[in-house]
Amino acid sequence: MALIEIENLSVTYRSKGRSVTAVESVSLGVEARQSFGLVGESGSGKSTILRAICGLAPVTGGTIRIGGDLVPTPRGRAFSARVQMVFQDPYASLHPRHTLDRTLSEPLAIHGIGQTDARVMQALDDVGLPQSFRFRYPHQLSGGQRQRVAIARALMLRPEILLLDEPTSALDASVQAETLNLLNRLRTERGLTFLMVSHDLAVIDHMCDRILVMQNGRAVEELSRQDLASAKMKTDYARSLFSASADRMLEP
Amino acid sequence: MRTMDWLRDQNPTSRAQARAGQAYLNWLRLRRNPLAMAGLLITVILLLVALLAPWLAPHDPIAQDLSQRLLPPLSPGYPMGTDEFGRDILSRILFGSRITLYIVLLVVLTAPVAGLFIGTVAGYFGGWVDAVLMRITDIFLAFPKLILALALVAVLGPGMVNAVLAIALTSWPPYARVARAETLTVRNSDYIAAVKLQGAGGGRVIWGHIMPMCLPSVIIRVTLDMAGVILTAAGLGFLGLGVQPPLPEWGAMISSGRKYLFEQWWVATMPGLAIFIVSLGFNLLGDGLRDVLDPRSAGK
Repeated sequence: MALIEIENLSVTYRSKGRSVTAVESVSLGVEARQSFGLVGESGSGKSTILRAICGLAPVTGGTIRIGGDLVPTPRGRAFSARVQMVFQDPYASLHPRHTLDRTLSEPLAIHGIGQTDARVMQALDDVGLPQSFRFRYPHQLSGGQRQRVAIARALMLRPEILLLDEPTSALDASVQAETLNLLNRLRTERGLTFLMVSHDLAVIDHMCDRILVMQNGRAVEELSRQDLASAKMKTDYARSLFSASADRMLEP
Repeated sequence: MRTMDWLRDQNPTSRAQARAGQAYLNWLRLRRNPLAMAGLLITVILLLVALLAPWLAPHDPIAQDLSQRLLPPLSPGYPMGTDEFGRDILSRILFGSRITLYIVLLVVLTAPVAGLFIGTVAGYFGGWVDAVLMRITDIFLAFPKLILALALVAVLGPGMVNAVLAIALTSWPPYARVARAETLTVRNSDYIAAVKLQGAGGGRVIWGHIMPMCLPSVIIRVTLDMAGVILTAAGLGFLGLGVQPPLPEWGAMISSGRKYLFEQWWVATMPGLAIFIVSLGFNLLGDGLRDVLDPRSAGK
């Protein structure tokens, strides 16, 4: 049984009589400790799937199960202790008026977990930030450092599942590699399950075991890493998507 | 000098040290702004005057002496002159600072807080909560401020506390509007989504994450309104619905002086000057505080 099971998920945004279907009956399963990638062009609904899992998008059909249980609405604390998300833009995902200390200790305060000091220090260590940064504000940090803070925050509650919404697209190339390596290291160390969104196939190739290609809110094709390496795509759309960025792929 | 080093430490080791260091930095930043320092000076002087009024005042502010009525400023013993009952204007202004400060503090502690609360709740929850709260706000906004305050005082009876209550009840709607507008801009941001995803409830999100973002614009409004509060209180006093005679309230003093404005200008002008200086002080200080309270402006 897969850890994350999504069946026929549909997400429709309604506003003033108009409706936009962002995701249409998409199904996928992510095994525990797997890294699963969602690929597609802008507007294909890949980020919406992550937001739907978190309860940030209106689910209009289908089911989402984590560990075999339907996710509750509202998601609740038990859910947040299992599933956390890293957002795309580290400039927007950290509260501008909270020090890193506040940002990192907030999840502990919400869940009534003690030993705040030790845990915050440990979290900074884990993502490779000096402990002296503890009382700085986000505006005093670079983009890569901010994304490290966002990752540290997502890991404060020791979740099993990390949803990654284009975690490196707002960063420049050298910092991208650093951040991806950090994520890979944390995944091995902690046995995390990743569900990752990206439009950058080099990133997906570097990170993911399985890939779902999406177009216009629908699933086009599911591929394994081997399929990708040997270019065994079945659909034209997937092939064109991959050939467009094949020259940028990292060597395994 | 060791305290200085402790405060200036780039890498504080405890939360208390970080907070103290931040406060010290804020103080340094405030000190760099001469206008804010002028505002702070005026405010501190007002506080001292209010505190020390019984020792500073040369005369009893209420004692009447009809033989000394309407003396011009710089008369011996009466540096600001006397009013129509022969009371020393300087003493009345010094004692009046207590009443003014009391009114301003009470209004500032109630109206913006209530407005902030209503605005953020309406903006954050949206839907029918928003609709109900904002229509109530609209109703309060639709009434002219002074008329509503008058109606309230008429119902509650004249007096200082009721005047404060009336002013507070009429001045919260703009704060609610400002706070709601700010809330709408931040409620869908990623950092709010992140804290919700950590399992935070509405109260924690609003109090800890949304209110700090609304605070600067509310502070701007408060400082702009501070003079207005003094003037509304003065207006109520002027109409005889605020502080009752013989208590020396600045607005009431202007009101009683208007009869003599052409011949004995000082009776109304002196308390007017006091209101002007104090309003200016609050405005300057508030402006400086707003700059300081925004950590993003730290580097500038």
